[in-house]
Amino acid sequence: MYMDTVVDIQVVTEQPQHLVEASIDRAFAAFRKVEDACSRFSQDSELMIACRRIAAPVPVSSYLFEPLRFALEIAEWTNGVFDPTVGKTMEECGFNRHYLSGEVIESFADASVTYRDIVMDEHNRTLYLKKPMVIDLGAVAKGFAIDLASRELQRFERFVVNAGGDLYAGGSDERRNVWKIGIQHPERAEQNIHIVEITNEAICTSGSYERKSSVTDGVHHIIHPRTKRSPNDWVSCTVIAPFAMMADAFSTAAFLLGEEGSKALIEQAELKGILISSQLQIMKIGEV
Amino acid sequence: MAKMNKKWVVLCSAALGAIYAAEYFATEAQALPHNSERSQLSIPSEASSPINSAAPTLPPVNNVAPSSPAESAPTPSSSKKMYNDGSYIGIGSNRRGSIEVTVTIQHDKITDVEISRFAMHYSDRDVVGLPDEVLQKQSAQVDNVSGATYSVRAFEDAVQEALSQAKNA
Repeated sequence: MYMDTVVDIQVVTEQPQHLVEASIDRAFAAFRKVEDACSRFSQDSELMIACRRIAAPVPVSSYLFEPLRFALEIAEWTNGVFDPTVGKTMEECGFNRHYLSGEVIESFADASVTYRDIVMDEHNRTLYLKKPMVIDLGAVAKGFAIDLASRELQRFERFVVNAGGDLYAGGSDERRNVWKIGIQHPERAEQNIHIVEITNEAICTSGSYERKSSVTDGVHHIIHPRTKRSPNDWVSCTVIAPFAMMADAFSTAAFLLGEEGSKALIEQAELKGILISSQLQIMKIGEV
Repeated sequence: MAKMNKKWVVLCSAALGAIYAAEYFATEAQALPHNSERSQLSIPSEASSPINSAAPTLPPVNNVAPSSPAESAPTPSSSKKMYNDGSYIGIGSNRRGSIEVTVTIQHDKITDVEISRFAMHYSDRDVVGLPDEVLQKQSAQVDNVSGATYSVRAFEDAVQEALSQAKNA
């Protein structure tokens, strides 16, 4: 288990087993490295250590730098509707417990913090926080880990890296390389509401039907940074993209943007999406 | 709008590239096996032939089979084409990493340029806008951004390499 999710890797190949095993080991190691860098739930992750140093440039590894930078790009693009500095709000809503140790984390953060209080220095690979904050990379880190893991497996004919339903399916065998992926029904967990075919693509779903807040009614793990509530236009937003980090971030951003904005967001990025409203109506974007 | 997609793709592949570049330079000898393998092999074998799947899937048309004869009709039949249609991979590299691009050509026109792999020790910001510039200028030569000479040159080399593979002999 990594990042509070079961990670499942499948490889179909005629290549020798030792090669497969070595690659799968490296793929799992990628998850470990991203988690060690990006977890909001351990005091000693690279992220949380960096978050405790205010108003000073902190050198960070690429495992933290890259997903954070991507999150900031999405924040910029959505005008802060998607905002990784939402971490403290998430803690307050009860998303504060490490999934393995059970330890509860309580951090200090400035109430007015936004993504603009994070400054990243590309050349020195440093992070500079203007105010105390808790950064949540929940919408990018898992996708990034899936991408890194997938990269380790690219030589094989067919493979899937599945982290709790967010996955990349691909491989080098182009003819036989279509994967049928079911999208879970928001209300009936054992059913698929839709099935899509993907190849060398990632698919990620953000849904309100899982990970509900234990503290605040009507709040789940996707929280709007300004209203501190969970939007309810959608019960599930699925995005298909060439990279899992992209699918991950855009599915979360789409969820936050609500009905009008999410369609525009996915269309502008030329991605495919399946959005399901609270009345269980399906809106498809692109050819899916 | 098309530009947006490219931006996110470049950002993602650059993010992955940063991890691999870092690991490559940390343990120079034990570089990523399929990465190095690829850059050596792709020039004679893999890259010299157009990627088969790319050509038929390119036009987002619903009817797959009947579209190809219809499409070939408007091609100028008399003059000899400079390039063969298809997608071609080119790689440009220097001491600080490599850039892989996929260039798509249709009817002697560069219709798409994608940075399919970015494993440079430089910022990807230097090259994010370059694919669009190639599309506009229809040339591998892009304006040099000061301070970004090396990554821009590697990018140009990669595009040039892809174009030379596309050349109609």
